[in-house]
Amino acid sequence: MEENLKWIWAAFSLAWALHLLYVYSLGSRQKALKRQVEDLRAQLEDQGRAQ
Amino acid sequence: MRTSAYPKPAAPPWLVGLAGILMMISFYLIFIWVPMERSMGVVQRIFYFHVPSAFVAFIAFTIGGIASIQYLATRKNSYDDLSVSANEVGLMFAVVNLLTGMLWARPIWGVYWAWDARLTTMLLLALIYFAYLILRQSVVEPTQRAVVCAVTSIFGMVDIPIVYMANQWWRTQHPAPVLSGEGSIDPRMRFVLYFSTFALLSVFWILVRMRRRIEDLRREADGLRREVHSL
Repeated sequence: MEENLKWIWAAFSLAWALHLLYVYSLGSRQKALKRQVEDLRAQLEDQGRAQ
Repeated sequence: MRTSAYPKPAAPPWLVGLAGILMMISFYLIFIWVPMERSMGVVQRIFYFHVPSAFVAFIAFTIGGIASIQYLATRKNSYDDLSVSANEVGLMFAVVNLLTGMLWARPIWGVYWAWDARLTTMLLLALIYFAYLILRQSVVEPTQRAVVCAVTSIFGMVDIPIVYMANQWWRTQHPAPVLSGEGSIDPRMRFVLYFSTFALLSVFWILVRMRRRIEDLRREADGLRREVHSL
């Protein structure tokens, strides 16, 4: 029984670690793209003012 | 000064709350409420995460495949966005399914992996979607990328019934289907299996919404980049 507990612990930890890692990757990709969008908008406004 | 086009979070708080509550209940049912399986003991409880992960992956790839068909028919980008989002999240669930299956197999079969039909077809399914994501990165022209990926996604969807039927069509080491096959299952175990699937579906939906937001932002960035270069 106790010998087998390590397998169930490993399975659930691995599953949740993968979920959290994926959420982290989604969050960081989203943050990087938001920064890109803001930079591009600022660039557009600067170009608009210059003209 | 322009404000952000996406002030609200990709997943509404009520959905995140609901998924959290469903997962808590699911943990209670899996670890405390459901009866112990007699021959496998506590390891069998991996089943309540392993099988729902496969169901969610199948649903995700089906959504991705249908959205791809709709993209090819209408050429609307929103279908391509839905397809890539569902397929990427589905791949994550397929990997969870494969890994939890390996951790179940080690104490029960004595090996992590056996090249039997069910396991091999599931691995192939995951590899098709890995290839899909690699294609997504490697084709530069957006329309060509969307078309090539839509075809790959439809091809992947065709593998789903093969994976599901593998242990009926071929002799396999993998347990027989407990819901539709000859094996019987305690009604409480069946209930927990369905409940866990429902709880994971809510997590899936949150992840798809988050992934779609990335596609929205990518399209917005591409549009702005074109505007900057045209000035």
